Amino acid sequence: MSDNSLISLPPAAEADLVRRLQARDESAMTLFYERYSAALYGVIFRIVKAEDESEDVLQEALVKIWHAFASYDPGKGRLFTWVLNICRNLSIDKIRSRQHRVGSRTQGLDDSLTAQRQAAPTTFRPEHIGLQEITQKLIPEQRQIIDLLYFEGFTQSEVAEELNIPLGTVKTRARTAIKVLSKLIR
Amino acid sequence: MENIQDYIESGILEQYALGELSAAEQATVEAQAAQHPEIREELTQVQQALGFYAEAHAITPPAGMRERVLANVMARIAAPKTSSTLRADVDAVAQANSSTTATPAYVPQPSAAGEAVVRPMSSAPMPAAAPAGRSSWAMAASVALILSLAGNALLYSRWRDASADVVALQNDKAQFATTTTVVERKLGDLRQENQVLRSDEFRAVALAGTKTSPTAHAKVLFNAATHKVYVDVRSLPALPADKQYQLWALDKGKPIDAGVLTVATATGEGIQHMKDIASAQTFAMTIEPAGGSASPTLSTMTVVGNI
Repeated sequence: MSDNSLISLPPAAEADLVRRLQARDESAMTLFYERYSAALYGVIFRIVKAEDESEDVLQEALVKIWHAFASYDPGKGRLFTWVLNICRNLSIDKIRSRQHRVGSRTQGLDDSLTAQRQAAPTTFRPEHIGLQEITQKLIPEQRQIIDLLYFEGFTQSEVAEELNIPLGTVKTRARTAIKVLSKLIR
Repeated sequence: MENIQDYIESGILEQYALGELSAAEQATVEAQAAQHPEIREELTQVQQALGFYAEAHAITPPAGMRERVLANVMARIAAPKTSSTLRADVDAVAQANSSTTATPAYVPQPSAAGEAVVRPMSSAPMPAAAPAGRSSWAMAASVALILSLAGNALLYSRWRDASADVVALQNDKAQFATTTTVVERKLGDLRQENQVLRSDEFRAVALAGTKTSPTAHAKVLFNAATHKVYVDVRSLPALPADKQYQLWALDKGKPIDAGVLTVATATGEGIQHMKDIASAQTFAMTIEPAGGSASPTLSTMTVVGNI
């Protein structure tokens, strides 16, 4: 599946990029942007759901990645995993501070589900085989849980509460869904 | 091996990958992963699966964003360099350049050039190295300061939220305590009333309405041994604000003041403890000016009853 290495760089190229960032080579940030911005922006936009705020978060994330790069340990995981987590955390912080102003978590879910339905047509890229495959392979219940966990920043307990299903069921569905995704990579 | 499988099945690796765990829990997972290759492998798979899911949702950023974001990022990661040290750096580089023209093997290039430039420390010109070192320290210090300020701002806002929550909770608690006190006092009153009503020592004396108010009806509870007197109103005509009902005990025809009835008692809300009476054969109530009179106004007698 060549599609799946579209953004995750081949190990050699990733190691090179890491070396340049560790050497504080500012020009490496441009390359970094070329390689990762679409994936990172996609995740940020899914969580934040507003273009201008997503741009702010991406910018914050890039600055943070640059400054915190010393704390990235290639031995612990891929660069993509690390930067993805930074972007997710900043995005979730963003929506939490917003929800804190607006009000309840429940309202956040309702809003987000509507936003997601509206956002889907513009964000769906037909040339992107990955998403189509995912849509076919994951059953709706699994996808809903992965979306709540990944794009809404819910904890497993919060998902259980929100969907009114046992925590054990949430854990099982999340694990199964991730297994399905793992199979799609290979 | 079995407990490793249990650990994997517990779902903690998914929680780790989704960023649900505390720093301490994260450290535990990392330690487990470092110790057991199976856990390391599983964790990598989970992370890659989520990464794949993220990639599948990639969106090409809107037009013009690349330039804006990159320009801002570049400005911010280079920002702490002041113009004077930058000037010094440039001068130093220019100087070094002119002094090393003889050796074309090393040509310092602005870092904006697309490709990576390997700069071995040994071949770096010394005059350039010193100011660069200083400015990078200055940059690091500025960044640390900015991060610290941002951190402080964040902590401050969280602290404010937290203390607002504490105040709200304290208010709730105080309100609850007040309610509890009121309820306890009412409960105490009711207990006392119940004790009086159930006691055999108290004699109930029914007070019937006189000709002027035939529907009036009240009851006196009199304890001859302890001399305690309670009054329990069933129905009495309403009074103007400047008048009060007063209870009298008649001992051998002589009226003794037993106290005035509160508005609550007069409207039948509960029983009222009156003044102690040593001895009586008859109880009666009259209407008196607020505060009561020294002797009864007999023409206003509303209820009367004999023991």
